[in-house]
Amino acid sequence: MDQKKPEYLRPALIAGAVAGVLSGLPLVSSGNCLCCLWIVGGSVLAVNLLAKHTAGVLTSGDGAIVGAFTGIVAAVIDTLISIPLRPFNMELANRVMRKVSELGYDMPSNLDGYLGGGAGIPSPGLFLLGLFLTAVVFTVVGVLGGIIGVSILSKNRPQPSPPAAPPPAPEVPQDAA
Amino acid sequence: MSRPGISRTVLAVYILTAAGTAIWLSAIFLAPVLAARGSVGPARLLYEAFSPICHQIPERCLTFHGQPLAVCGRCLGIYTGFAAGLVLYPFLRGFSKLKLPSVRVLLPLTLPMALDGAAGVLGIWTSPIGARFATGIVWGTLLPFFFVTGLADLLLTRRKRAAARPLEKNRANDVE
Repeated sequence: MDQKKPEYLRPALIAGAVAGVLSGLPLVSSGNCLCCLWIVGGSVLAVNLLAKHTAGVLTSGDGAIVGAFTGIVAAVIDTLISIPLRPFNMELANRVMRKVSELGYDMPSNLDGYLGGGAGIPSPGLFLLGLFLTAVVFTVVGVLGGIIGVSILSKNRPQPSPPAAPPPAPEVPQDAA
Repeated sequence: MSRPGISRTVLAVYILTAAGTAIWLSAIFLAPVLAARGSVGPARLLYEAFSPICHQIPERCLTFHGQPLAVCGRCLGIYTGFAAGLVLYPFLRGFSKLKLPSVRVLLPLTLPMALDGAAGVLGIWTSPIGARFATGIVWGTLLPFFFVTGLADLLLTRRKRAAARPLEKNRANDVE
């Protein structure tokens, strides 16, 4: 195993930015409802980028680290993007709730108070709490995605070729001496 | 892969993961309990905590105490499957080796959930909560075999790199 520490930050920043934007955009963010697609996918992308810039074989531990960093970056970007889009997201959530009610499903009477929160700009405390919770969840999912990424990509990655055998010694005629 | 001290590290990661999973699942069920009791603030906090990774559409959530759980049926299946996988881990993998599951195992277990989810998003069909829960469980059961192995490998690799650092320093000093 290569003892040199791989460079985790750059792949995590690139992949985390992609995953964070996809997780923060309305409608597109619903991809995360499908086994956290964007975060897991972002972590796999980070592992892929890391593998391209690392000489040795990546371990599942390397996947866990780069996945964790990707999750943290994605959480920050997602939270920042979500602030200006909050009113739009709330309207979308309310529309879904109305649609569900129209379909005849029984909705708990006080559900509005629990799901979604307010439509305005959150207070700094609530913002930091939301960022912390998102970072924790995305980090755990990112770790998982990074490890899965190593498992997937290690199959496709060419293994380092063994050192070339030394050329055969030139044949010396028996009677040369 | 077998390395010295591996059993203790894997066991430690396993226990911590099991504790985290128990807290995670408890939080999912605690949210509706708090909501039913009228504790608006704590209930909202728990629902918000799970909102980045789940749509929480009430019609797709199982209910507890008359209130929807903090995650949908599919997510609950994944987390329940994760817990089930943790129970199976010592019997199927043990604590003395580190080996990730192969892609040949990952793909067929992911496929039912991916197909069901994709068909739902594309509007091809709408599966009942039971089917979502079941496909989630199938996928979730495999996840601890990645998670525990990966984290244990991370700890062992860090320990190995930390141990190698003073040796490298000494070697560099000798050269100077």
